[in-house]
Amino acid sequence: MSGGMQSAADPILSVRGLFKHFGGIKAANGVELAVGRHEIAGLIGPNGCGKSTLFSLVSGTVMPDKGEIRFDGRAVAGMSAHRIARLGLARTFQIPALFDNMTVTENLLAAAAEGHWQGAHERAAETLTLLKLEHVADNRASDLSGGQQKLLEFGRAVMRQASLILLDEVTAGVHPSIRKIILEAIARLRKQGVSFLVIEHDMEMVRNVCDRIIVMDSGRVVTSGAFEDIVRNSEVMQTYLGRPQ
Amino acid sequence: MALLPTNRQWRGLVLFAIIIVVLGVLPWTVNNYWLRIATGALMWAGLACSWNMLGGYAGYINFGQSAFFGLGAYVTAFLMDDPFGLPFSATIPAGMVVTALCAVIIGAPTLRLRGAYFAIATWAFAEVLIQFASAVDFTGGIGGIGLPPYLNERFFYFAMFGTAALTYFLTWALFERSRFGLKVKALRDHEPAAEAMGINTAMVKLQTFVLSAVTASVFGAIFAYWVTFINPKSVFGGDITDQMVVMVLLGGLGTLWGPAIGGVVLFVVNRLIWMYWGDTAFYIAILGTAIVLVVLFLPNGIAGLFARRKNDALDKVLDKLAGSGEGGHP
Repeated sequence: MSGGMQSAADPILSVRGLFKHFGGIKAANGVELAVGRHEIAGLIGPNGCGKSTLFSLVSGTVMPDKGEIRFDGRAVAGMSAHRIARLGLARTFQIPALFDNMTVTENLLAAAAEGHWQGAHERAAETLTLLKLEHVADNRASDLSGGQQKLLEFGRAVMRQASLILLDEVTAGVHPSIRKIILEAIARLRKQGVSFLVIEHDMEMVRNVCDRIIVMDSGRVVTSGAFEDIVRNSEVMQTYLGRPQ
Repeated sequence: MALLPTNRQWRGLVLFAIIIVVLGVLPWTVNNYWLRIATGALMWAGLACSWNMLGGYAGYINFGQSAFFGLGAYVTAFLMDDPFGLPFSATIPAGMVVTALCAVIIGAPTLRLRGAYFAIATWAFAEVLIQFASAVDFTGGIGGIGLPPYLNERFFYFAMFGTAALTYFLTWALFERSRFGLKVKALRDHEPAAEAMGINTAMVKLQTFVLSAVTASVFGAIFAYWVTFINPKSVFGGDITDQMVVMVLLGGLGTLWGPAIGGVVLFVVNRLIWMYWGDTAFYIAILGTAIVLVVLFLPNGIAGLFARRKNDALDKVLDKLAGSGEGGHP
């Protein structure tokens, strides 16, 4: 069984011994992982295994009970979410967390309002073009379709000019055409030096996009490695399909 | 860098300019009775706007706004009285400073609360000030405090008019046209997401709270000098905040013009009822009925009838008040 720290010699994100318990539920139970610079790492695991909680812990939305989180060389465990965001970490939420009463353009501008305001209008226009959202630029966010909402939330992360983006099921349930737009944008950003940690259940996408897969179960990382190695791993198969009776 | 106004907003600016001109010549076209009503309407329009900064744009229901109105009134009364005897114009900045300090002291801990918890905390603060002002001597206690009379209705009209115009201009510039406004509205719509965008929501809320409080204190200062006598109930009373809330709900929560519409409509209705029936208790029933009708049939307020796009600010605020808003916790 290999640990989650492998293959990230100069990690942009490293997590060591991270714990978070909600009452009797061990959402993070000694998580160890790392994401390399310019890497796209996939985070997989069954529902309820602690993937989204890990995102909330890393991004400062939820405070950890114990453990170390280093982002770009700085210890960020216990730091507030806005301070972590200003260091260059952006995230999306499993359920799109849009500013419903604001327009699509205002959502993008709001994402740049703190720390990235210079040239924000031009970048918002570029992001609208990149994500093919120009025709709904003046629509309210809550009036968008589910897929467009996912696009907009991804667009807000792009507007942050982050060095690491955490994507929580960003392509789940969206039309293939929207998925294509998102995947192209991820590839383009990666070329610009952005790293990604991606929660995803779609194994086809994981195989095509991610450099390395990290597998979680019961609040801890059980293994990590290349996609081909992961699918041959019997423990991973048991995690997903259940142990034979 | 401010966001460039759209054609629609240019039209709004022209409308604002027309209103300024009409209100500017009003004192020469009406008698003193109606001038006093216009002065009161402007005060309520400004107070409703001050409440809307935090309640409408940021989604935090403040049931203690009268505390800041009262602080402005009492600082002016106290400083104009012996032994200080300061001129009225010198008391306004003093009231603003005192109010800003109080708002920071009260806002820093209470703005960590959400929904009904925040509303109760602010209501309690106003109640504490009533009790304090009633108990100590330097405020005149429950008997109140008098101010030197200045019988110039046009002066008070223009003082309220100028303050209200400045309040609305600042609200437009800060909440509708600047990145500060984007931050405020973002935290109203989804606070954890706003934090994840690098927005220091605690600081933005506190700045909005202080701005809202200081604005109310200026109206309180003018009000005290206008009516020449204040007591704890007349400036700290909960009914003052209640009226601001209903005015904003009626006019349109989280909109620029809603508080002006609601403030003028409800105050004029109040005065007409008083004029014809002489029983202002009837007005309380109208306030209650207005709340029910607005929530049921006009969730976007009167301003919503003319809005180009839907506004769910009321839904967001009610969610927060019920504690079911995003990241909602006491």
